[in-house]
Amino acid sequence: MTKPTVILVGADKGGVGKTTIARTLIDYFNAQQTPIRAFDTESPRGTLKRFHPDVTEVVDVTAVPDQMKIFDTLGTTQAAVTVIDIRAGLLSPTLQALSDIGFLDAAKKDQITFAVFHILGPSIASLQEIAETAKFVGDASYFLVKNHINDTSFFEWDPATYDSYFKQIQNAEEITVPKLNEMACEQVEISSVPYVTFVANKDAKGDPANNSFVLRGYVRHWLGNVWAEYDRVKLAELVTPKVESAVRQVG
Amino acid sequence: MSFRHSVTIVASPRPRVGKTLVARLLTDFHAHEGRKVVAFDVNSGEGTLAQFLPEYTKVADLSDIGGQMAFFDRLVADDGATKIVDLGAETFEQFVTVASRIGFAEEARKRGIAPAMLFAIGPDRTSVEAYRGLHSRLPHVALLPLLNEMLGHAQHRDKYPIRGAEAPLVHIPALALGLRRYIDKPPFSFSQTRLAAATDIPLDVHLELQRWLRKIYLEFREMELRLMLADLQASIRLR
Repeated sequence: MTKPTVILVGADKGGVGKTTIARTLIDYFNAQQTPIRAFDTESPRGTLKRFHPDVTEVVDVTAVPDQMKIFDTLGTTQAAVTVIDIRAGLLSPTLQALSDIGFLDAAKKDQITFAVFHILGPSIASLQEIAETAKFVGDASYFLVKNHINDTSFFEWDPATYDSYFKQIQNAEEITVPKLNEMACEQVEISSVPYVTFVANKDAKGDPANNSFVLRGYVRHWLGNVWAEYDRVKLAELVTPKVESAVRQVG
Repeated sequence: MSFRHSVTIVASPRPRVGKTLVARLLTDFHAHEGRKVVAFDVNSGEGTLAQFLPEYTKVADLSDIGGQMAFFDRLVADDGATKIVDLGAETFEQFVTVASRIGFAEEARKRGIAPAMLFAIGPDRTSVEAYRGLHSRLPHVALLPLLNEMLGHAQHRDKYPIRGAEAPLVHIPALALGLRRYIDKPPFSFSQTRLAAATDIPLDVHLELQRWLRKIYLEFREMELRLMLADLQASIRLR
């Protein structure tokens, strides 16, 4: 039995594409045949659940019974990776709760692999959150994600300011998610299927779909780039150490 | 895998090298062979394919995603048609970028469609470099260098290395001087019935055109056979 991995995907601000990142992560681990489960904290109805109904459970991460559901099962679940999509504004409170229940200590003692994907918005406000969350994460792998998927404005940060925040976190790594064509993005939303399924031209039931080949091509290309970023930061090795990461291709 | 249909892209990064003429000839050739043909005009400006062969041609625009969908989705559609693309010099780069990004050739092959590019060769650096780049950018497209003899002889032949056994040079023989004006007024089709009915073409011109056309159709037939052979060889090697 490998050490369980918990990945928090969050931001203190809405609309920066947390769920998008969570979806690419689920697709990424599925492609590597790493057993995975996901929790969607947008209760009662979650977006993540809509795209990955098989592996996703909707929970209220502030409620104790649901915290038990997530963290007490870590030792028994088949899933090697647990992805938690944290609702807007709940990242800091969740980290606080994790600290209170001793989860962060367990991570420190190396019983659990813990990673945070912090999705950054295009405004300076989201940089200040880094300082807030930084004090919790300690030794955890901390990934700062610049999400350009539906990029309309440039990231308006002063590089010096950014660097000063960035340095507050040890082991912080940067991930850049490139832009995906709006129409391709929209079509996947409408289809309500994982990116990989869309690329394979299937619908939610696994039957052949009738998606535009051009849009599928754009999604495949984009997803390939996102996964290349995950490969670059050695995400697979973090989850299953010492195993040669398999060469694989998108769809 | 044996291919049911083909997509042939007539291309060059240089304008005025006879791409549209080759696309017209190729479209009429396939129609002459009794196939269903759809041609795509990806050009801007005068004298384009859509004006010469309006009944076969659709105008395509690759500048936005809607146009790309209309074009590429149709190109790989299983509609039983042979497809010709007249790719203007100014859209060459855009086409190659999008096609390689979305995996056009791989998808076409998966659907039993053989993608080929007739590349009009020239002595200029732009063409030589674009041709070289195609080997890595569109590795699954059969690359066929095309020499338009109306532009002179092939002294630059060695600058265009061939990929695999499938593609010696395709020649477009020169048309006798003074005959160009008979075929350069759109709309115009090289189909036999159309030529026979054309009252403004004198008999001797008509005969010369037929002779020229026969040479070209022979070149096209040979090109098809070579592609088919390469495909067969590849499938034998796989087993």
